[in-house]
Amino acid sequence: MGAVYRKDLLLFFTSPIGYIFIGAFLFIMNLYFYLGNVERGVSDLSGLFSVMQIVIMFLVPLLTMRSFSEEYRQKTDQLLFTGPIPVWQVVLAKFLAVMSVIVIALLITLIWVVIILKYGILNTPSVIGMYIALFFAVTAFIAMGIFTSCLTSSQIIAAILSFTLFFGIFILDSASASLNTFWVKAVISRLSLFSRFDVFRRGLFSLGDLLYYLLFTSTFLLLTIHEIARKND
Amino acid sequence: MIEVLNLTKKYGNNVGINNISFKITQGEIVGLLGPNGAGKSTMMNLLTGYISKTSGKIMINGQNLTDNLYEIRFKIGYLPEQTPLYEELRVDEYLNFVYSFKKTSLSRQKHLEDICNRTGITDIRKRLIRNLSKGYKQRVGLAQALMGNPEILMLDEPTIGLDPLQIIEIRNMIKKLSCTVILSSHILSEVQEICERVIVINEGSIIADNNISQLQADDQTGLQIRVMGDREEVLQQLSALDGVLEIECVGEIEPGSLDYTLHCDRDVRKEIFNRLAEITSPALMIKPIDLTLEQVFIKLTKTK
Repeated sequence: MGAVYRKDLLLFFTSPIGYIFIGAFLFIMNLYFYLGNVERGVSDLSGLFSVMQIVIMFLVPLLTMRSFSEEYRQKTDQLLFTGPIPVWQVVLAKFLAVMSVIVIALLITLIWVVIILKYGILNTPSVIGMYIALFFAVTAFIAMGIFTSCLTSSQIIAAILSFTLFFGIFILDSASASLNTFWVKAVISRLSLFSRFDVFRRGLFSLGDLLYYLLFTSTFLLLTIHEIARKND
Repeated sequence: MIEVLNLTKKYGNNVGINNISFKITQGEIVGLLGPNGAGKSTMMNLLTGYISKTSGKIMINGQNLTDNLYEIRFKIGYLPEQTPLYEELRVDEYLNFVYSFKKTSLSRQKHLEDICNRTGITDIRKRLIRNLSKGYKQRVGLAQALMGNPEILMLDEPTIGLDPLQIIEIRNMIKKLSCTVILSSHILSEVQEICERVIVINEGSIIADNNISQLQADDQTGLQIRVMGDREEVLQQLSALDGVLEIECVGEIEPGSLDYTLHCDRDVRKEIFNRLAEITSPALMIKPIDLTLEQVFIKLTKTK
C-alpha cells in the first residue's frame, strides 16, 4: 500500500497538478485572508474557513480526477490489480495520497494563525475545531472524487462528474434554507455536509458530525472498491 | 506447475473462455495462439486473477488461485498487451515503485541492476519514460514483469509495434529466461522461434495443444508424391480417390518420374499407395508436405 501511496504522491509533483492545486488554493485563500482579515483588521477566521471549504470542494476534482481514470487510460490498472495487494489497499493509498496534498496546502495556511496570534486575538478552540472539521469534510469530497474517477477512463469526464456532484450538494444545501416543506428541509439538513461544518464554525465541537463525515467518506470508498471489483468481474 | 480445469468465463450471454483445461509444467515455454478476439488476453487476465472466472479452477503450484490470490501473485510476472507504464516517471522511479509494490525481498540495488542489465535498459535508467522509444518502453515493461524473479512469466503480445531489430532483441531476451513462460501472440513465427509447445485457442476453446513439430507432423493432408507412369492416368486415378481434394502435377524432378502435390481432407497415403500399385505406376516417394505453423494455424482455426 505504501508503494502506491508514494507513487501517487510522486505523480502529483512530477506533473503540474499538485503545484496547480496548491498554488490556486493558496492564491484564492491568501487573497481572501488579506481582504477579509488583514485589510479589515478582523481576527475571526470562521468566514475564511467557510470559503476555504467551498474552494477546496471545487479544487478537489483536480487531484482526484486522475486517481483511477488515468490508471485505466494508461492501462496501469493491470499492474495494480494483478499485484500482491487487495483492491481496498489501492483505493486507500490513493485516498491518502490526495489527502496528503491537501494537508500540505492546509499546513501552509497555519501562517494565518501565526499572524492572528501576533497581531490579533485568536479563538484557539474554534480554529482547532474548524481545522478538524475541514479535514473531515475534505475526506468526504476526496472519497466522492475518487469514486467518480473509477467510473471512467477520461479525466475530464471524472472531473465534470465530481463538479456536478459537489455543485449539486452545494446548491441543495444553499436552497434548503428557503424551503417551505418542513420534512424536506429537515432531511436535507440532516444529510448536508455544509451545515455540519457550520457547527464547528460557531466554535462547537460535535463528534456526531465528525462521525457523519467519516460515514460519508467510508460509503464512497466502499462504493469505489465495489465498482472496481464489478469492473474486474 | 499451472493446471487449468474446465475454466469458463462468460460476459453476460457471451462466452469468452469455454470450458478450457490444460497443464503447464515448470520451466516450459508455452505459446498461446489464436486469431484476434479468440480469448488469449482473457485467458491471461484469468491466469493473473485480473478478472474473475465464471466457473472452473486454476491451480498454481498446487494452490487454488482464487483462495490464495495475493500469495500466488508474488510468483507471477505479467506484461499485458499494453505496457503498463507511468509516462511521467523516470525509469528508475518506475522500477523502484514496482520493486516496492511487488514486495520484493531481494536486495533492491542488486536486483534492479540485474534486471536492467538483463533487459538492456541500464543506460536509460534516468530518462523519463514518456521520452523513450517504443522498444525501450517494452523493455521497461519486461523489466517490470521480471521484478522479484517470478516463477511464472506471462507475456501478452510482447513484440507488438516493435521494429524487426527490437523484435529479435526481445525474443532473445525471452529465450534466455529460466522460468515458466506463457507467451500470447498471433505472430506465428515468433511462437515457433520461442516456444516448445503451443495452445491454439479459437472462439474461447482450445483447438490444439501440442509441441510445434508434432502439430506440423500431425497434419498429413498435404502430400508430395513421385510416381513413374502416365501423367493423365495418375491424375485421373488419384483425383477419383475418396479424400483427395486437389491434385496437381509439378513436373519432373527425378528423371523418368513426375512429382505431384495433393491436398486431401484426411490421411490417404495407404489408398494412394494401393491405387498406384494397381495401375502399375510405382510410387517412388510419398511424403507429407511440412506445413508452416501459419498453415497449420489457418487450417485449425478454419476447420474447427
